[in-house]
Amino acid sequence: MNRLKELLRRLLYLGRRENLDVVLDQEAEFHIESRADELQHAGLARDKAMAQARREFGSQSRMREESRVAWQIRWLEDLTSDLRYAFRALRRSPGFALAAIFSLALGIGANTTIFSLTMEFLFSVPSARQPERLASIQLAGNSHSPMPMYRFVRDTHTFDGLAGSFEEHQVNWRNGEETSQLGVYWVTDNYFEVVGVPVVIGRPMQPGDRNVAVLNYNFWQSRLAGDPYAVGRTMILDGEPHTVIGVLPRDHRTLLGFGFAPALYVPVHDDKAFVAFVARLPEGMNRQAAFTRLKVIGQELDRNFPNRDFHWTDDIRVDAVAGLERLKSLNMIPFTAFFGVLMVVVGLVLLIACANVASLLLARASSRRQELGIRLAIGAGRGRLVRQLLAESLLLAVLGTLSGLLLNFWLTSLLSRVQLPLPLPFQLHIAPDWRLLAYSAAVAMASALFCGLFPALKATRADLNTALKRQELQSSRRLWNMRNALVAGQLAISTLLLAAGLLFLENLSRSTSMNPGFDVDHTLWASMRLVPAKYTTPEKTQALVNTALDSLRALPGIEAASIAHVVPLNDQQTNFTELQIDGGRQVQVHYKSNNVGPDYFRVMSIPILDGRQFSATDRAGSPEVAIINENFARLLFGNASPAGHRIQYPQGESVSIVGVARNSKYFTLGEENALAMYTPYAQGPGTERLNFMIRAAEFPPGLVKVINRTLGELDQSAAIETKPMRDALVLALLPSRTGAAILGSIGVLGLVLASIGLYGVLAYTISRRIREIGLRVALGASPRNVLWMVFRDSFLLVAVGITIGLGIAMVATQPLAMFLVPGLSPTDPLTFLAVIALLAAVALAATIGPALRALRVDPMVALRYE
Amino acid sequence: MPTFNSPELLPGTLYLLVLRTLARGPLHGYAIARRIKEHSAETLQIEDGSLYPALNRMLVKGWLAAEWGISENNRKARFYRLTPIGRKQLETEAKEFDKLIQAIQLVMKTV
Repeated sequence: MNRLKELLRRLLYLGRRENLDVVLDQEAEFHIESRADELQHAGLARDKAMAQARREFGSQSRMREESRVAWQIRWLEDLTSDLRYAFRALRRSPGFALAAIFSLALGIGANTTIFSLTMEFLFSVPSARQPERLASIQLAGNSHSPMPMYRFVRDTHTFDGLAGSFEEHQVNWRNGEETSQLGVYWVTDNYFEVVGVPVVIGRPMQPGDRNVAVLNYNFWQSRLAGDPYAVGRTMILDGEPHTVIGVLPRDHRTLLGFGFAPALYVPVHDDKAFVAFVARLPEGMNRQAAFTRLKVIGQELDRNFPNRDFHWTDDIRVDAVAGLERLKSLNMIPFTAFFGVLMVVVGLVLLIACANVASLLLARASSRRQELGIRLAIGAGRGRLVRQLLAESLLLAVLGTLSGLLLNFWLTSLLSRVQLPLPLPFQLHIAPDWRLLAYSAAVAMASALFCGLFPALKATRADLNTALKRQELQSSRRLWNMRNALVAGQLAISTLLLAAGLLFLENLSRSTSMNPGFDVDHTLWASMRLVPAKYTTPEKTQALVNTALDSLRALPGIEAASIAHVVPLNDQQTNFTELQIDGGRQVQVHYKSNNVGPDYFRVMSIPILDGRQFSATDRAGSPEVAIINENFARLLFGNASPAGHRIQYPQGESVSIVGVARNSKYFTLGEENALAMYTPYAQGPGTERLNFMIRAAEFPPGLVKVINRTLGELDQSAAIETKPMRDALVLALLPSRTGAAILGSIGVLGLVLASIGLYGVLAYTISRRIREIGLRVALGASPRNVLWMVFRDSFLLVAVGITIGLGIAMVATQPLAMFLVPGLSPTDPLTFLAVIALLAAVALAATIGPALRALRVDPMVALRYE
Repeated sequence: MPTFNSPELLPGTLYLLVLRTLARGPLHGYAIARRIKEHSAETLQIEDGSLYPALNRMLVKGWLAAEWGISENNRKARFYRLTPIGRKQLETEAKEFDKLIQAIQLVMKTV
């Protein structure tokens, strides 16, 4: 503490260094005059008194010097002078400085951008008051519990408030003539109070509020055009008027995190709702203590609300709402690992960039040998020189980091604006913060050391005799000097990056052209969300479904129309259960299920290989039937026909199998051998969301509008959205696209950096060998010989680099298999061939410049060079 | 360390002397030097110039604070005063010094 204050006082002094000199002079003057006064008083003449006083005082300049030293911070002043020297040195060779800063800027820009993205995505802090005192609570291992349980726990007043939320609620917003669907954060009325969510306009939600809405900033801006009078405005949500009471700040981050950003917060008043609990822990209560209290509350719950499937005391969890602990509790570790992989990849890019700078510095060190030799000879300490050279790489690293941060700001603002085609509202707010600052500072220091330490050590090791000679006459003919090793290493790393990038590009092209097992070119998907309050019975919904299907089929150009509970590749419904076959053997299965209407297989062009389709007679109340896919049929019945067999669920109900459908993709393009079972839509549970699947031979312009209007006329309060199935594939293609975009661009970045490195080293080698080349030409070497000389060096470097890189890639790309479509191997030979071809082409391009330079060497000039 | 006239000061004692001198109230540099000389019955004489680097070192350490004022002979002078840290430092240094002197006396008597 005292040390710190001392440093602070010293730093303050730096600002008023001149001031101290004046102070000291005045003090000395005062001292001497006071002494002279005294002596004069004792009888001495004024001039003699002054002379004696000065003598007694001693050397004024020493007093000044020693006093100044008392205030100095030695290392800081050395550093500033080193940096000033480095700055002058860099300004003398702007080409070198620019190349180095550019390399570092790219490497650090990519690195910090992925860092910012990772931090925002995984570790963003929710917009809440003292989030560290919030805890998310689960009872009986359920993420959400019913409202009565919520009220019971809240009313025990164990916490400084308990709030509940359902994150994925949706409502229909009737806006003028249009009805659209909005994502809603459904929260208990005390949510804003308990969590401490700030608003920017209006007021937060308060206990007792009903039918109010707090708007997301982006929603306010984009859908309400930033209406300054938005607060107080009425919105019709699911048929009921809601009053807008406030707007959230632009950088609002929900408690759920991960960029999840619904359009509205609306109070939940549905007693059938399930909510996730979030508690504000009282001062002094840690999560362990909260757990103990909840155990007791759980016993109370078990007495008051006994449940036959579980006890409320089972698996009670109290978890943090932010940070690594939360990721662990949400089981997000694999997801975290993905970002870890990204960080490693951009780390490699930075490594390439640093290698570029290191090899540039090495080249520079050789040409500064003489200077350094002289300084060593006249007694400069090696440590001092190393420090000075390091200051130069520090300066480069700092400048590179600053430019890299500019790149970061640009890229992250792009990322913040990106609209992902996700079914959930999603918005990232990446802004520079102290974490980015600290990380960049660390990256700058690390790259300064990495780039500079070795070249600095090497440069100062110069043995005096050779260094002092005017030139290094013989350039080192050892091929595997440090510089070449660096370039080979760079090429190896960029081979690896490129292999990964190309692999993902290949993956993207394969997934785009992949046949998902159903027709995406002649099908449309019309989604219709009903206001639940208007359809209280399954019969009402079914009646609407039938009318809708009839009106759709009557439209010109429509060949067939059907309905499905799950739209393939956009949503899924999975079952994990034990089935009994024909009352006999039992099989444990994990399968995808869907409820589909008659004609579904015709609309989607999924052939029925055995048995029959569903028909209008498969309705509620008629015998329950099912169609299974080939995989399922093979698993249960081998080669025998499954039609007519019965399967029974553990609860007792049974269905008879009436047909077998061809395998297709259900949720991801990457899935393989998935089991699937279809049951009639009319025999399934009715929901507020209707997915009409429509077959049309061609899509005349306006077809989407016609469909929207047709469905809209049936119920104006319903939210309708129609799109061709081809467009609905974006979600399924998102992982491939993201992977290809990120790894592809990183691969290109690595390639660019490595080719700069290769170019630099070749150009430098040529410049060192000008005399040798001149001599050879003078002795009769043909241009071909000269070219061969240059290309041989380049070829050796590239060959070694690629070989090492491919060797690493063979192993390192293996774990990527889980991101690839089936049939594409991480060691895809075609990809590797492409990598080799691409690298060779780039290497060739990088060699042409230096080679031409070698050809232009004039023997007369070269020989006179000495 | 600054150099002193005879008798030689033990290392670090100049700090102690300055702290002790300032314990009774703020003084300017010249007054500090004179006090030390007077109170030691002219035995301890500091080369005047070497007082100031010591004062600056003590400012850096935070033992002293300095401000401008008007001296008794009506001149602008820089006055030094003890800070709370300086006061604490004086206590510890004084104790250390006593211990040292006792130890030396012990040696002188027994040997």
